[in-house]
Amino acid sequence: MASTGNKNINAKLVLLGDVGAGKSSLVLRFVKGQFVEFQESTIGAAFFSQTLAVNDATVKFEIWDTAGQERYHSLAPMYYRGAAAAIIVYDITNQASFERAKKWVQELQAQGNPNMVMALAGNKADLLDARKVTSEEAQSYAQENGLFFMETSAKTAANVNDVFYEIAKRLPRVQPAPNPSGMVLMDRPAERTASASCCS
Amino acid sequence: MSSAVEDQFASITVSEKSRSHSHASNGSPNRDAGEIVEERAAAWRSEAEGHPVPSSSGYSGEIGEDDIREARNAGGQVDGVSGSGLQGKRRLDEDDASVSWRKRKKHFFILSHSGKPIYSRYGDEYRLAGFSATLQAIISFVENGGDRLKFVRAGKHQVVFLVKGPIYLVCISCTEEPYDALGMQLELIYGQMILILTKSVNRCFERNPKFDMTPLLGGTDIVFSSLIHSFSWNPATFLHAYTCLPLAYSTRQAAGAVLQDVADSGVLFAILMCKHKVVSIVGAQKASLHPDDMLLLANFVMASESFRTSESFSPICLPRYNPMAFLYAYVHYLDVDTYLMLLTTSSDSFYHLKDCRIRIEVSLLKSNVLSEIQRSMLDGGLRVEDVPMDPLPHRGSLLSHLGRQKPHMQDSPKEASLGIGGPAGLWHFLYRSIYMDQYVASEFSPPIDSPRQQKRLYRAYQNMYASMHAQDIGPHKTQFRRDESYALLCWVTQDFEFYAAFDPLADKALAIKVCNQVCQWVKDLENEIFLLGASPFSW
Repeated sequence: MASTGNKNINAKLVLLGDVGAGKSSLVLRFVKGQFVEFQESTIGAAFFSQTLAVNDATVKFEIWDTAGQERYHSLAPMYYRGAAAAIIVYDITNQASFERAKKWVQELQAQGNPNMVMALAGNKADLLDARKVTSEEAQSYAQENGLFFMETSAKTAANVNDVFYEIAKRLPRVQPAPNPSGMVLMDRPAERTASASCCS
Repeated sequence: MSSAVEDQFASITVSEKSRSHSHASNGSPNRDAGEIVEERAAAWRSEAEGHPVPSSSGYSGEIGEDDIREARNAGGQVDGVSGSGLQGKRRLDEDDASVSWRKRKKHFFILSHSGKPIYSRYGDEYRLAGFSATLQAIISFVENGGDRLKFVRAGKHQVVFLVKGPIYLVCISCTEEPYDALGMQLELIYGQMILILTKSVNRCFERNPKFDMTPLLGGTDIVFSSLIHSFSWNPATFLHAYTCLPLAYSTRQAAGAVLQDVADSGVLFAILMCKHKVVSIVGAQKASLHPDDMLLLANFVMASESFRTSESFSPICLPRYNPMAFLYAYVHYLDVDTYLMLLTTSSDSFYHLKDCRIRIEVSLLKSNVLSEIQRSMLDGGLRVEDVPMDPLPHRGSLLSHLGRQKPHMQDSPKEASLGIGGPAGLWHFLYRSIYMDQYVASEFSPPIDSPRQQKRLYRAYQNMYASMHAQDIGPHKTQFRRDESYALLCWVTQDFEFYAAFDPLADKALAIKVCNQVCQWVKDLENEIFLLGASPFSW
């Protein structure tokens, strides 16, 4: 949940999407300003934090970059539970990754925080020649489902910071009465047992 | 069956002719190793009656395993678009019809009991579906007869099988490694798979025998290829022991104390490692960590580049601890080689573990433990050149040895020094403490200074180890073997196992004397080279 205190906002943000869509590349571009052509598969989930100044508030993002591999799907709630924002990433050159993104949106709508700020990011926008998903299609899907949509390129950095800024700007509006403690991450109920299996 | 598949079947099926051939080679006088183990070929009980073996098996080539690194680079050119398993991959264009594929010296396969490929070291799994089905047919043919297939010999090749419920593992090798060594390697590969998925993956096969497991292992090729690579350089893979980074006793104590603090706060295991060497481990009460689990966990973390980019929180399973359940691992690199792993049973503890890590990192920095670790990495471990030859009782410190820049050779007169290396032509040694489940290996120095020579020496040690541990031939206390490459000496007592490689011209009596001295030296240094009083290991 996002929480405010003296204009300092802490927000948990999760990235979800298919294998190879570019979740880690987006985060690394945003947090470290780096890009590597052959990003290795993420294991479990990687944690980053980054602070942004928006208008006159400071937003500290706690970012969960999740693994897109199938074996980690059942563990995703562990990472998106309590998140104030989510970026659902697909690859504009891969139709299957767009379908996978829609599944993530459904899952978040069913299971997640109803006030969650959701962004749909069509990544690899630099690969125009290989495009398989039109921006019109994605835009209309996003509108129907209450997401905001951007096409990004972690490689060229196009729109990467913009996605995070846009989320940061939207956060306080959906969270007018924040949790007074400012920290609700630790005490949520353990819905999943420790022995949750990869494919149960 | 297509004719190509039939050809494969024939080429790996044993016939009376090829078996008698392998027995004949047994008797040849200048085989260097594994003679005793070879006898165990008789233990192969199954009568897999197959087609006669063609005179040429098709696996005759000499493509080295070192190609894997090259192959890995080639795999990196795959466009990172979609699909699983695109990195660390070896020659995806190869399949069982390729000459290059057939020339590989050592293949590993994982397949399901319905014959579906799960993993192959070389080539693309899906293109190997026919080959996989053939392996499955052989295994189930024997299983249906109420028997179990252990291995098949076909000329230079050995095919080793391991059945783990619905998962079948197969190794096809012409490396002349003993059956026991290859069988243990298959066990470790299975363990690595369990570490990633847990044994509950078996349930998927109960629900659907034709379940395709390959996608579940997506992105882990590099973990398996790194493990397979370690079979030729990491003694932990056959000694079932771990090794420590040499550190002053007080430094390791300080690291242990810092970890103990967090272990008392609900962490199951706190492990501080530098590459594959342990700095310190602390476990919660009564929790014990098997050396094989440590090997597999360290391999998993080091092979996955993703852990280096930031702090991670990932489910993992320790197969020897509990093969059915996931634990959660918080992993963070403190510097380029040193990483901290905090394992817990609670999926909610990320923020707690993160706080623990920050506390640990601050303490390690303050107490200079991190800089000591870095210095030890640079200085290296025990060197054969430093084996003390003076008869005086030696209460030395390794670190004072390491501190001084010693020119190799002749700064002190060495007793009967043969060429290069240590006293009496000592080239290398391994010492495994039985009660501590730890080993120490000397650093490599000339003439064992290329990866190829190191791999050969490990294979020789592996053969020694297998022959010393073969159950049906009784406990061996000592063994001395000499061939054109080395004189190998092995000594097993209740407390330790010791393996040493000497110049092939070394004098046997002197070599034995030097071994005694090395063992004494290791005991004198045990405060620094071993993790003492590691309670989690007192089984």
